[in-house]
Amino acid sequence: MTSARSLTPVLFFVLFLCSCCLNGCAKQTTVVLLPDPGGKVGKVTVTSDVASIDITKAQEATVIKGRQSAPTAPKVLSEAEIARNFSEALSSLPEPPKHFNLYFEKDSDRLTAQSQQVIPDILAAASQRQSQDIGIIGHTDTAGDPSYNMRLSKQRANAVLQILIQEGIQDKFVKITSHGENNPLIKTADNVHEPKNRRVEVVVR
Amino acid sequence: MRAAYLSLFMLALLLLTFSATAGAMDSIGIIKSVSGEVYLASTETSIKAVPHMKISQGDLIRTGPNSNVGLIFEDDTVVSLGSNSELCIEQFLFDPAAGKLAFITKLFRGTFSFISGQIAKLAPDQVRLETPDATLGVRGTKFLVKID
Repeated sequence: MTSARSLTPVLFFVLFLCSCCLNGCAKQTTVVLLPDPGGKVGKVTVTSDVASIDITKAQEATVIKGRQSAPTAPKVLSEAEIARNFSEALSSLPEPPKHFNLYFEKDSDRLTAQSQQVIPDILAAASQRQSQDIGIIGHTDTAGDPSYNMRLSKQRANAVLQILIQEGIQDKFVKITSHGENNPLIKTADNVHEPKNRRVEVVVR
Repeated sequence: MRAAYLSLFMLALLLLTFSATAGAMDSIGIIKSVSGEVYLASTETSIKAVPHMKISQGDLIRTGPNSNVGLIFEDDTVVSLGSNSELCIEQFLFDPAAGKLAFITKLFRGTFSFISGQIAKLAPDQVRLETPDATLGVRGTKFLVKID
C-alpha cells in the first residue's frame, strides 16, 4: 500500500509529460527546395508515416504537420517568405569546398606547365574562404610497381605543399595524403601510362 | 573477492580503452563559422564551438538565441543552423573507393540550410534527414528545413 501511494506522484508526473508532448510538441516541418550555386534544381522526397511527396521546382515548399499527416501539395514560396524564415540560415551557409586537379610530368614530381598556372586559383580560393583546412591528395597512374607509385604520389603531394608554403600558405593548415595508384581518375589496367591519373588533388575548405 | 575486484578493474580498463578509441574517431568535417552561442556535444562532453573545430560521427550541434553556425563535411556537403537549432549526425561514411557511403542526420528543432555533396551524388539512397514530422530523401542539392 505504501509503495502504491509513493508511486502516485510519479504516475502524475509521467501523465504530465505525456500531455506536454501532445500539446507542446505539435510540431511541423517546412521543406523548401532552392537552385544550387550552379543554378541546378535537384529534388527532395518528403515522407511522413502516411504519404510521400517530391518537391522538384525552385522555391517549391511542402509542410508536414506530424508523422500522421500527409505532406501538403508543393507550393512555390516568394523570395520574401523565404527570406523571412531562412535569411539567417542562408547567410551563414559556408561556400562549398573547391577542388583542383594538378597534373605532373611522366615519372616525376614536376608540375606540367599548364598546371602551374592553376596555383594562383588555389591561393585565391584559400584566401576567399579564409581557409585553414586544405587537403592535398597525391596520385599516380598504374605504370610501375605499387610501392614505387605510393612513394611517387607522396613526393607529388609534397611538391605541391612546398609550392603552397612558398606562396604563404601555413603548413599547419594543410593535410597531406597519398593514394599511390589505388584511386585513379581514369580507371585503367595495370601498367598503363595515363596523364590524367598523374595528379594531385587539392581541396580548399 | 579478489577475483571480483580484478574483473571490475578489467572492466574499467576495457571501458577506458573503448572511450579512448571513440575519442580518436576520424574527423568527418569542420566547423567553418560561428556566431553567438554554439555548442558541440559528443557522448562524453559538450564544448563551446569555435571555427575550425573538427566534428565526428555522433556529434550533436546546438545553437542558442541569435546564433548560427556553418559546417563543411568531408564529402563537400555544407550545412548551416540558424538560431535555437539542434541537429545530430547519426551516421557519416565517406569511402567511395570501398563503396561505403552514408549520411544520416537528425534535425530536432530550428532552421537549416543544406547543399548536398558527393554522398548524395554517388549514393542518393544513403542520404536521409529525419525531422520529428518526416523523413527527407535528398536527390540534391540546395534546400531549407524549418521545424516549428
